[in-house]
Amino acid sequence: MRMRNLSFLILPGLVLTSLIAPAFAASDADIAKAEQAMAAKDYNTAITVLEAALQSDPDNIRLGSDYRQAIMRKSIAAHPKEGSPLDFDRCITFFEKVVAAHPNAATAYLNYGFCSVDKIPAAGSITQVLLANAALTQFSKSIELKPSWIALYTRGNSYLYWPVIFGKAGLGVADLERAYAMQKTEPTRAYHQRLYISLGDGYWKQDNIEKARAMWKEGLSRFPESKQIKARLDRKDDDLKSYIDDQLDPNKRVDTDLHEIWEAK
Amino acid sequence: MKRFALAVIPLVCLGLVAQTKPAERWFEDITKKAGVDKKHTNRDFDNPYAKIMAGYTALGASVAVADYDGDGFEDVYTTDSKAGGKNHLWHNNHDLTFTDMAEQAGVANANEGDNAVADSMWLDFNNDGRPDLFVVKFGHSQLFENMGGGKFKDVTKAAGLDRYSNAITAIAFDYDRDGKVDLFVGSYFQPINIFQPDSPRFFPESFETANNGGGLTVYHNDGKGKFTDVTEKVGLKLSGWTLDLGHADADNDGFDDLYVACDFGTDHFFHNNGNGTFADLTEKAIGIDSKKGMNVDWGDYDNDGLLDIYVTNITDDYMREGNFLWHNNGNLTFSDVSRETGTYETGWGWGAKFFDYDNDGWLDLYVMNGWVSAGKDSYVPDIFNMVTKPGIDFADARNWPPMGNKSLSGYEKKKLFHSEKGQIFKDQAARHGLDSNKDGRGIAIADFNNDGKLDIMSANANSEPNLYLNTMPAGPHWIQFALEGRQSNRGAVGAQVRLKAAGMTRLQFVSGGNSFAGQSSSRVHFGLADVAKVDQIEVRWPTGQKEVFASVAVDKLNKIVEGTGKKVK
Repeated sequence: MRMRNLSFLILPGLVLTSLIAPAFAASDADIAKAEQAMAAKDYNTAITVLEAALQSDPDNIRLGSDYRQAIMRKSIAAHPKEGSPLDFDRCITFFEKVVAAHPNAATAYLNYGFCSVDKIPAAGSITQVLLANAALTQFSKSIELKPSWIALYTRGNSYLYWPVIFGKAGLGVADLERAYAMQKTEPTRAYHQRLYISLGDGYWKQDNIEKARAMWKEGLSRFPESKQIKARLDRKDDDLKSYIDDQLDPNKRVDTDLHEIWEAK
Repeated sequence: MKRFALAVIPLVCLGLVAQTKPAERWFEDITKKAGVDKKHTNRDFDNPYAKIMAGYTALGASVAVADYDGDGFEDVYTTDSKAGGKNHLWHNNHDLTFTDMAEQAGVANANEGDNAVADSMWLDFNNDGRPDLFVVKFGHSQLFENMGGGKFKDVTKAAGLDRYSNAITAIAFDYDRDGKVDLFVGSYFQPINIFQPDSPRFFPESFETANNGGGLTVYHNDGKGKFTDVTEKVGLKLSGWTLDLGHADADNDGFDDLYVACDFGTDHFFHNNGNGTFADLTEKAIGIDSKKGMNVDWGDYDNDGLLDIYVTNITDDYMREGNFLWHNNGNLTFSDVSRETGTYETGWGWGAKFFDYDNDGWLDLYVMNGWVSAGKDSYVPDIFNMVTKPGIDFADARNWPPMGNKSLSGYEKKKLFHSEKGQIFKDQAARHGLDSNKDGRGIAIADFNNDGKLDIMSANANSEPNLYLNTMPAGPHWIQFALEGRQSNRGAVGAQVRLKAAGMTRLQFVSGGNSFAGQSSSRVHFGLADVAKVDQIEVRWPTGQKEVFASVAVDKLNKIVEGTGKKVK
């Protein structure tokens, strides 16, 4: 296990190395304890363990992601569908304190923003806007500290959820193009398909259909089994609009579990 | 010879198809021809907050149907809201034209002084068989007693109803089964005079959990012409921004329950305890929402014998709330099936009504939408700039940006959802010419020419109404019932009719004004498709008594009087 972790860390040219490294610097015992508690649906224990671990290892992407998952699963278990909005405030308040104590923790800012994203489906339509705004602020801080692929992808993708009238699609495309340039220099990873999808969606939102389709086609050539890319390429006009609108519906939960990042090979 | 015959048959078939193929469009807009094209105008306020209020009070276009003179043809009352604007009492001339009798009848004037009409509703409060009229206002709502002979008398004070409120909706039903309809009035703003407010803090304190609205007032009818405020006593003290009310018996226990749709916050579901009080079952029944409830209509859309609920909310690019189609689970809980049924998205929703426009035996839905249709600039960025300001006091009207000539969810096309056997709904509005893009508000459904096909009249803010005649080719059977209570309230509001025919059972009920800014005919209408014989109907009267009627005529209006059928348990 240790050998595997070390071999992963020395992969050349990996932009995410600095994000992933802390995941394995964290206490294996803490992670194991939290995982065990999660499996037993003992979310309170998982949350307590992960909060303690994050205080000493705030930039650990795995701890942060697992912690948010525990918060979300606890809420949904108690309040079916999307959970209760108040439950997610614990996560927001916690990370607010973490970044105050660790102002250079770029990944902590990323998770801080994700806390707001996790709350969005459970919130009312106006609160959704406020949360989306708050998330953008935290993602921007993360990028300011460390312009990583995940941070650029995340902020770029977030912009796409805003209605066209707010004119944020261009900002989203700019972030996603930067992330695209980064991933071109990396070995192909499973999560890269997300960027082909989002960047194509960004072009589509700018009414640049040809560029959108070209990006999705390039993505399909790299990920021939991607159902989401195929679904876009199979649709046109209103059908495509309905599909993308549905995908970007703020009432639908966005998968913010970052396990793909540390499981990437 | 054989070859010749084969050649002829297809031609005959083609001919038959051509002859029987229904016309594509089944509704004709006869607004002008019928003479009902009188424009509604929003109220302009004359106070320091007038420019801000203008955007939030684009209301008051309503339409209410009743046969006020008992001549067998449905008449209509429509409203205006501008200062001094006249309301209209459209008498049905029996030839699809109408004559405005409001002045002669004494029900034209309602917008004088600090009064702006918001809604209207017919009710027979004194059980004399003549529909009386309640005019709902920001200001002093009025009750007009129908004196017969086409005359009405303002009895508001005598009835104990003379008070200022910012009322926006009303329904009437007999919650305590004492044989008289009671009055439920929903108010939007809290009861301060919004024409001359003494404080700017009268706007909603939150977009999602506002509790500084006008709530609900319940008036008990004593049967002697007096109404008494029993709101607290019956357990319905609320302070939300009520936009609509809807009653029906959700659990078939013989007592009508209540759904309250609220803007800027949580809708409520109240179960009637059967002892003159209601229990708030909101959390268990529908959950806590934070949407902008606009409309409540009840109907058994899937023909499972339980009444379901349709509530409109706001669904646009900038606000994805989605409507609720609350499927009744039969245990006083409801599940929202709007996404699955295709009724989720209708823009900025307003009034919506269940009705069977093609007489196929399944309830369809017509839905109004659109807030303010004005200039090409959008008000959305203005409102979101305000929303995202830290620490802003939403209750202070001065913090809200004036709308000016900007549009907000404007020019939206209305939806006519055709039910595909209660499973899914498909929009047929464009096909039938019902996709007007006016700022729609209320809907009334009635059979204005007694031909067995349901027509539509819709009220539009700052515009003329639309009267649509149903011109569907003859074919599907239908049956209608006019119910008259004796022990029950005379209008039989709340009565349930279960029709049995060809092995199926269908449920309808008499509504006391359900749906936003619109009141449909009190007649009960069933589409029967190709079923030409009805086995029986069972009427459960508002008193709880059940009666069976076996001899009812298909393709006709049947009058059903309480006490004349066979009593059953």
